[in-house]
Amino acid sequence: MNREMIFALLRKDLGLYFSNRFFAFITVLGLVFYAGMYFVMPDELDETVEMAIYADELPPILDTEMEDSGIILREMVSAEALKAAVASGEQEVGVVLPEGFARNVAAGQQETVQIYFSSAFPEEFKELYATFFREIGFMLTGQPLTIDVEEQILGEDRAGEQIPYRDRMLPLFAVLILMMETMGLASLVSSEISGGTIEALLVTPLRVEGLFTAKAVFGVGLAFVQAAFLVAVTGALDEQPLLILLLLLLGSVLVTGVAFLIASVASDMMSVMGWGIVGVLVMSLPAFSVLVPGLTTEWVKVIPTYYLVDGVYRVVNHGAGWADMSQNLLALLLFSVVFLVLGIVVLRRRFQ
Amino acid sequence: MSPRRIGVLLAKELVWGPKGFVFIMAVAAPVIVSLLVNLLVGSFFSGKPSLAVFDGGTSQMVAALRANEGLLLREAGSAGAVESAVRSGAADMGLILPAGFDEELRGGAGTAVTVYVYGESLLKDRAFLATAIASQLRAITGDASPVEIVTETLGDGASIPWEERLLPLVVMMAVIFGGIMVPATSLVQEKQDRTITAVTTTTVSLAELFVAKGILGFLLALVMGVVILLINQAFGARPLLLIGLLALGAVMATTFGVIMGALVKDINTLFATIKGLGILLYAPAFIYLFPSLPGWIARIFPTYYMIAPIVEVTQRGASWADVRLDVAILIVLDLALIAVLAALTYRARRRPAMLPGLVS
Repeated sequence: MNREMIFALLRKDLGLYFSNRFFAFITVLGLVFYAGMYFVMPDELDETVEMAIYADELPPILDTEMEDSGIILREMVSAEALKAAVASGEQEVGVVLPEGFARNVAAGQQETVQIYFSSAFPEEFKELYATFFREIGFMLTGQPLTIDVEEQILGEDRAGEQIPYRDRMLPLFAVLILMMETMGLASLVSSEISGGTIEALLVTPLRVEGLFTAKAVFGVGLAFVQAAFLVAVTGALDEQPLLILLLLLLGSVLVTGVAFLIASVASDMMSVMGWGIVGVLVMSLPAFSVLVPGLTTEWVKVIPTYYLVDGVYRVVNHGAGWADMSQNLLALLLFSVVFLVLGIVVLRRRFQ
Repeated sequence: MSPRRIGVLLAKELVWGPKGFVFIMAVAAPVIVSLLVNLLVGSFFSGKPSLAVFDGGTSQMVAALRANEGLLLREAGSAGAVESAVRSGAADMGLILPAGFDEELRGGAGTAVTVYVYGESLLKDRAFLATAIASQLRAITGDASPVEIVTETLGDGASIPWEERLLPLVVMMAVIFGGIMVPATSLVQEKQDRTITAVTTTTVSLAELFVAKGILGFLLALVMGVVILLINQAFGARPLLLIGLLALGAVMATTFGVIMGALVKDINTLFATIKGLGILLYAPAFIYLFPSLPGWIARIFPTYYMIAPIVEVTQRGASWADVRLDVAILIVLDLALIAVLAALTYRARRRPAMLPGLVS
């Protein structure tokens, strides 16, 4: 393999890639958009509900029980102030406890609690609040339920330290960036095949191996640099940078293989887009399962990007290390090699 | 302009158009997005906590929880299914009720029950689910709450569910994809293939060609708009008015698409331009997602007048009288775009370079 020729090819491909206005535009726009979206999204997940409350004397149970249960009570100076806050939408829910509420309920008296909802408050949630205060009444009377509850937390208990949506979305952004490069590379290769440039190149001393090496290095490099840039600016490289970069590198090899496959069936920009969008949809599915837990089941593991998405997600958000990632790395390596070899074989058959 | 020649060109468009990738996308994308939205609104966007339950007997709790609209109930077929639902995050909490649970509870014996909690479930969801479960347990034991709850709604706003917030985006996607992308890509593709030069060297005029391409985009945008409203059960109120509004929106999208197709040289530039303009085209739909944003922001964007009357009719039961001002602005915008296209077509006869690749 002639190293100089490969470098020359890389320079040519880079120039050609960025001369395609669409791919040049979405490459820059994509990076700016995904990074911008990450920083615009909240950096913490609010897992609490807030309600206004007015009582001459707040029952101790509401002081002590609420702290760690995700319910924040805002004490108001009067019932009128509470109603005004709810009517203006400043507070969505307001509760007015009658005078001597805790004392009277504990003494066995029936009491009435007034709950005010803002008109924008969803109807279906109102009953949950009513139920909550009925239960408070039971607790004040000291009526225990004759039940032994065996509570098991499944998975890491993230109460109070939930993963923000922007960190859940990071693997999705990475996959989308990688897959966009798939379309760019596929378009480049496809146009070279249609235009006969590849055949012209093979008339020179350049061998087929050299040609594919140059295309693979270009594809992997372009995809990897962008994905690495995204995770770097979002601070995801602070923990286990080498592990994340390795996952992204394998992901880049995988999508380069996909790009070769698309280029082998696509004849022009439109068919690259057609096949590319199908590829993007399929490959980004595992990222949605991270975003919406329980959306998919075990079948999602047959999609190669699952091991990339799961890996990035667990390393960034759960502090997974090399030992935890061994299976992901192995699976991703296997898929990457298979897709790259398959892509090269199929693409080679198209122009030879 | 000859209707016969336009008819011949349109017939050709109707035969070849549906075979193109963009046409297929214009049909498939809004439908897929609409179905996805409907799927996710029931779970992810609902904001409701979810509870998985396996009932080993016939507890009255399950029926009561099913009736509770504040939570999503998943009835599992086994205790293992409850555990796996919670472990995967499909449910925030899981409850396994043994056979004879209600009888044991009423008997006052220390009944054992297993509750699984998803580690990443939100604190507020855990609190409300625990309360809902406790409340049903009280109902079984027959305990009367010492607290009576009276509720009252204050203010004059309205709760806007996610399916309503997302509908404008899906409708716009249907109209814009069909109306803009189909005629624009068809024109640019034909320019690249040079078939368009062959056509315009015959007796077919540029205007006739634009009308034929436009009619296909218009029909597609209109039909897809109706289909999306039907899928989302939003076509019931004033269907004729809605068809009229969609038609005016489709005219706007189609004329813009034909102008783009006429001005842009190659497919890469077209996609780049449409991608760049996307945020401006869809801006009103994004503003609908956040009802707290001031309404005047959306009015800056021309496509607001395409979608706002449709939203008013489908979601707020507006009549023609309520939307006529916005419709008047939409008609003015449509006429302005048609005038721009007509001017381009007229001038291109003298200066072919204005519309590269179209006039020989």
